[in-house]
Amino acid sequence: MLGKKQVNWLVIVFFAIIIAVVFQQIHTSMTEQGIATGGPYDNAAAYPRAIAILIGLLLMLQAAVSWFREPTTDTDADELTMKQAYRPLALLGIFALYLGLLGVLGYHLTTTPMIIALLLVCGARPSLRIIVTAALIAFTLAYFFEAHLKVVLPGGIYGLNIPW
Amino acid sequence: MLKKLLVAGALAAMTLGASPVHAEFPERTVENIFPWSAGTALSVSQVIAKAMGEELGVSVPVISTPGAAGTKAFITAMNRPADGYTIFDGYVAPLVLQPVLGNADWTYKDFKPLHSAVSNAFSIGGRKGETRWTDFEGLMAYGKANPGKLRYSSGSRNNLPHMVIAKVLQSYGVVAQNIPYKTDGDARKDLKAGVLDFSFVNVGAYLQDKEGFEILLVLSELPGAKASYDGAPSITDMNIDLGLSGLAPMGWTWWLVHKDTPDDVADVLRAAMKRAMNRDDVKEQISRVGFVPLDWDHTQYDEIVGPVAGQLGAMSNALAWEEEELKKLR
Amino acid sequence: MLVDSLISGFGLFMTPLALGLTLLGVLFGLLVGALPGLGPLMGIILLLPVAIGLPPVAAMGFLIAIFVGGSCGGSISAILLRIPGTPLAAATLFDGYPMAQKGRASDAIGIAISSSALGGLFGGLVLIFAAPALARVASNFAPPEYTALAITGLIAIAVISDGSLIKGLISGGFGLLLATIGTDEFSTGYRFTFGSHHMLNGFHIVAVVVGLFAISEMAYQCMSGDLLAKPKITVARPGFRSVLTTLRHWKNLLRSSVIGGFFGALPGAGGVISSFTAYAVAKAMAKPEEKYGEGAEGGVVATESSNNATVGGTLVPSLALGIPGDASSAVLIGALLILGYFPGPTLFEQQPEIVGGIFLVYLASNVFLLIAGILATPLFVYVLRVPKVFLIPTVLLLCSIGTYALQASVFDLFVMLGFGLVGILLRAASYPLAPVVIGIILGPLLENNLRRSLLISQDGYWIFLDRPVSALLLGINVLLIAGAIWFAIRQGRKTGDVSEVTGQS
Repeated sequence: MLGKKQVNWLVIVFFAIIIAVVFQQIHTSMTEQGIATGGPYDNAAAYPRAIAILIGLLLMLQAAVSWFREPTTDTDADELTMKQAYRPLALLGIFALYLGLLGVLGYHLTTTPMIIALLLVCGARPSLRIIVTAALIAFTLAYFFEAHLKVVLPGGIYGLNIPW
Repeated sequence: MLKKLLVAGALAAMTLGASPVHAEFPERTVENIFPWSAGTALSVSQVIAKAMGEELGVSVPVISTPGAAGTKAFITAMNRPADGYTIFDGYVAPLVLQPVLGNADWTYKDFKPLHSAVSNAFSIGGRKGETRWTDFEGLMAYGKANPGKLRYSSGSRNNLPHMVIAKVLQSYGVVAQNIPYKTDGDARKDLKAGVLDFSFVNVGAYLQDKEGFEILLVLSELPGAKASYDGAPSITDMNIDLGLSGLAPMGWTWWLVHKDTPDDVADVLRAAMKRAMNRDDVKEQISRVGFVPLDWDHTQYDEIVGPVAGQLGAMSNALAWEEEELKKLR
Repeated sequence: MLVDSLISGFGLFMTPLALGLTLLGVLFGLLVGALPGLGPLMGIILLLPVAIGLPPVAAMGFLIAIFVGGSCGGSISAILLRIPGTPLAAATLFDGYPMAQKGRASDAIGIAISSSALGGLFGGLVLIFAAPALARVASNFAPPEYTALAITGLIAIAVISDGSLIKGLISGGFGLLLATIGTDEFSTGYRFTFGSHHMLNGFHIVAVVVGLFAISEMAYQCMSGDLLAKPKITVARPGFRSVLTTLRHWKNLLRSSVIGGFFGALPGAGGVISSFTAYAVAKAMAKPEEKYGEGAEGGVVATESSNNATVGGTLVPSLALGIPGDASSAVLIGALLILGYFPGPTLFEQQPEIVGGIFLVYLASNVFLLIAGILATPLFVYVLRVPKVFLIPTVLLLCSIGTYALQASVFDLFVMLGFGLVGILLRAASYPLAPVVIGIILGPLLENNLRRSLLISQDGYWIFLDRPVSALLLGINVLLIAGAIWFAIRQGRKTGDVSEVTGQS
C-alpha cells in the first residue's frame, strides 16, 4: 500500500503544510491583532517565522536527499499491506470514535464498549469473558481515579457520574 | 448479550449518577477552575477548597487551567453545566480587568457570587544597595531624567500590577519598559541580579526575603497592606491619587458559579464557603502565605466589585499611554 | 552550621509519621510517574491538600518523596512499553526499551531505579553542601544566559538523532513551533489558536508526549503477530545487584548527576532538558562498542541519574532563594508557606531544623526509592507477561484518563490522538520523536529569553556578548555546533544510509 519512499514524501508534505499555516496565520490573524510587526515587545511573528524558514530550508535539504539517495535503497522492503494496516487503522478509528462520544455520553457509557471493540480488533473471540474483563478494566480505573485521586471523569450530557 | 449488558450498565449508571439535579447537592466532587499555573496562589485556593470540601462533605479539587491572562479558565468553566459542580476561582484579572481591556465579553455581573476569598497587596520594590536613588521620589526623578531607560517587571504584561504601576508612572510622567516574565520569582531574581531596576513585589515574596528588597512604594491605601510591608511608604504617604481605593489596586479572587446555577445549589455552596472562610485554621494558613482572607459574603458582591470595575475602567488608558510613549522613544 | 541543621532536623525527621509518609510518597510517586499522563507535578498537586494538615517535615517528606518517586517512575513504562510515563523519561527509552527487548527488562529497571536513587543522593549532597553558593551562581543567570543555554540544549538534538541529523533537526524545529501556540507572553496576542479557547495556552506538553509515543506505539504493537499469545519471557530478578552494575558506570553517573544538579539549580531549566543533555553527553563520550541506542546500560544511567539529581538541584533555589526551580517545586514552596515557613535565606538562619529536616527527608526518599523500587521490580515486569490483547486497550485507557486528569479537558485527549497520528507518520518515515519533546521544552525558554534580552538590552544583540557568562556560553555553543557537524559527517561516512533505521525512536 505505502512504501517508505511515499511515507517520506508524505512527511515532507506534512511539514510543508505546517510552514504554510505559519505564514498564513502571520498574514491574517497576527496582522489583524497587530502583533506581526514591531520590536520584541510587540512582534510575536518574528520568531515563529524564523523557525518556519529554518524548517523550510532543512526540508528542502531533506527533499534533495530523498530525491537523490533513497530510491536505490528502497525497492522491496517495508511495503505496508492492507492486511497489516487493518488493525492499527481499526484501533485508531475506534479510539477516535470513543473520544468523540466521550464528551456526549460520558465515560461510563462509552468506555466498556470501547474496550470490548479494541479486544475484538486485537483478536479476542467474542465471549462473556471479554465483556466482563472490559467492564472490570473500565470501572476499576474509574474507581481508582474518581474515588482516590478526585478526578471527575467526563459525565456527558446526562451528567453520569458515580458518587463512589 | 452485549447489548443487554450495555443497557443494564447504562441504567445502573443513570440511577447512580443522574438523579434529579440537586436532590442532595452535592453528590460528588465539586471542581474549582483555577486560572493560573501551579504556584503559591494555587496552594491558597487549595486551602480554601479543602476546608470548603470538608464543609460540603465532598472533595473540591483545584484544577489549574492557565492561559490568556486567566480567560481560558473562565471560558472553560462557562462551558460546563450550571449545576454547581464547577466553581470559578474568580481572580480580578479574568473577572474584571480583561473585560475592561476588551479581551473578554463578560462582566462581573454575569456570575453568581459565592463568597470573597483572598486579596494580595503588592508594592514597587527595588534591590538593596541601590546607589542611583534612595526612595521612590528619587526613582521617579531618575526615570524622568532618563526616559525609556528604566526596566521593570509587573510579572505579565497587561496584568493588574502592570496597570497600577503604569498609572503611577503616568502620574509622574515617567516612561519605563515593562519586561514580562513567566513567573514572578524569575522577575525578582533578575531584579536582585541587577538586570531590572524595579519590580512588583507581593507580600509573600517580601516575607520570604525581607533583606533582599527595598520596598519603595506600597500600592494600596489600606493600613493593613502598609503594615504587611513593615511600614514602607504607601500611596497615601506620597499623596499619589490613582483614583483607586479598596480592592481596586490589588489582586483578589471572589469565588463564583455560573449565572444559571439554581439558587438552592448556590446557597449550599455559599454557606459552605462562608463556614470555611470563617475557620481560624483557614485564615491562619492563608495569612502565612502573605494573602489576606476576605470576609465579604455574596450579598456584598456588587457593592465591592462594582467600584473596582468602575475604577479599573477609568484608568485603563494608563497601559495605552505607556505603549504610546515607548513607541515615541524608539 | 550545616551539620548543625541536619542534627537539629533529625528529631523532626525520625518520627514514624515522617518516615512512613516518605515511603508512601515514594510509592505513590512511582505510580503516578509510571502511569502515562500523570507525573510528579500532578501527584504533588493532588496530595497537597492532605499534606498541609501535617507537621511540616512529615508534610514536606510526603511531597518531596512524590517528586522523587515521580521523577523515576516514568522510566518504568519507558523501559517496558516504550512509553515515557512522563516527559522526563523520554530519553530513557533510547536504551531502556532495547534492553528490555533483549530480555534485560529487570536489569534495565534495576539500573533506572539505582541510577535515580544514586543521582538523587548526589543531588542531595549538592543541595546540602552547595545550596547557598550554587543559588548565588544561578541567580546571576539572566535572560541572555538562558538564551545561550537553550541553544546548547538544542544542540543535543544533533547528538541523539544520529544517522538522520536533518530529520532530527526538522523534528526539533517542529517542537519549537508547537511551543509558540497559545498566548504570547510579550504581545499578549494569540498565535495559532484558530479562535478556539482550548488553544489559548497551547497544547499541553503531556498530551503531546503521550500521543507521540504511547498512541503511536500501541498502533505499532497491534500490528505485530499474535496478540493473544502470552509472552514467554523469563524474567531474572535483578535484586540489589543492579546497584553494582550502575556503580560500574560511575564516571557517567557522576557526570550526569552534575548535569542534573546544575540544570535543577537553574530556575526554569528542569529535568527534561537535563536528561537529554546528560544522554547526549554520555553518548558523545562513549566508545562505539557501547552501542548507544541499542540497549546500552550507560544510556539509562545517564538519563535517570540526571533527572533525579535535578530534583535535588531544584530544591536549591527553592529553599535558598524562595525562587521555584520548576513547577513542582513552586507547589512545594506553596505548601511550605502554608505550613508557616518562608523558604529563603532567613529559613536557613532562623529555622535550621526545618531545612535540616527537609534535607533528611529528601535523602531518605532516595534511599526508600532504591529499596522499594528494586523490591517492586518483579511486579512492574509482570506487565510484560500480560498478553498484548489486554495490554493495548488498558494502556490506551490509562493514557486517556491520565491525560484527561491534568486539566479535566476532553480537548487534550483529541490533542493526544492527533499527535498519535503525527507520531505514527514520523516514525514510519524514520523521523526521531525525541527532538519534538526537546523543542517543546526549550521553545519558550529560547524565544522568551531572547526577546526578554533584547528588551532589556539598550543596544540590541550586543547584550549577549557584553555579559561574560553569556559570551562564554555562546562560544561553547559555536564549538559544540562545529563538533556536531564533524560528528555527523563522521557518522554519515561510517554508516551511510543503513543508519536511517536507527533514527526510529
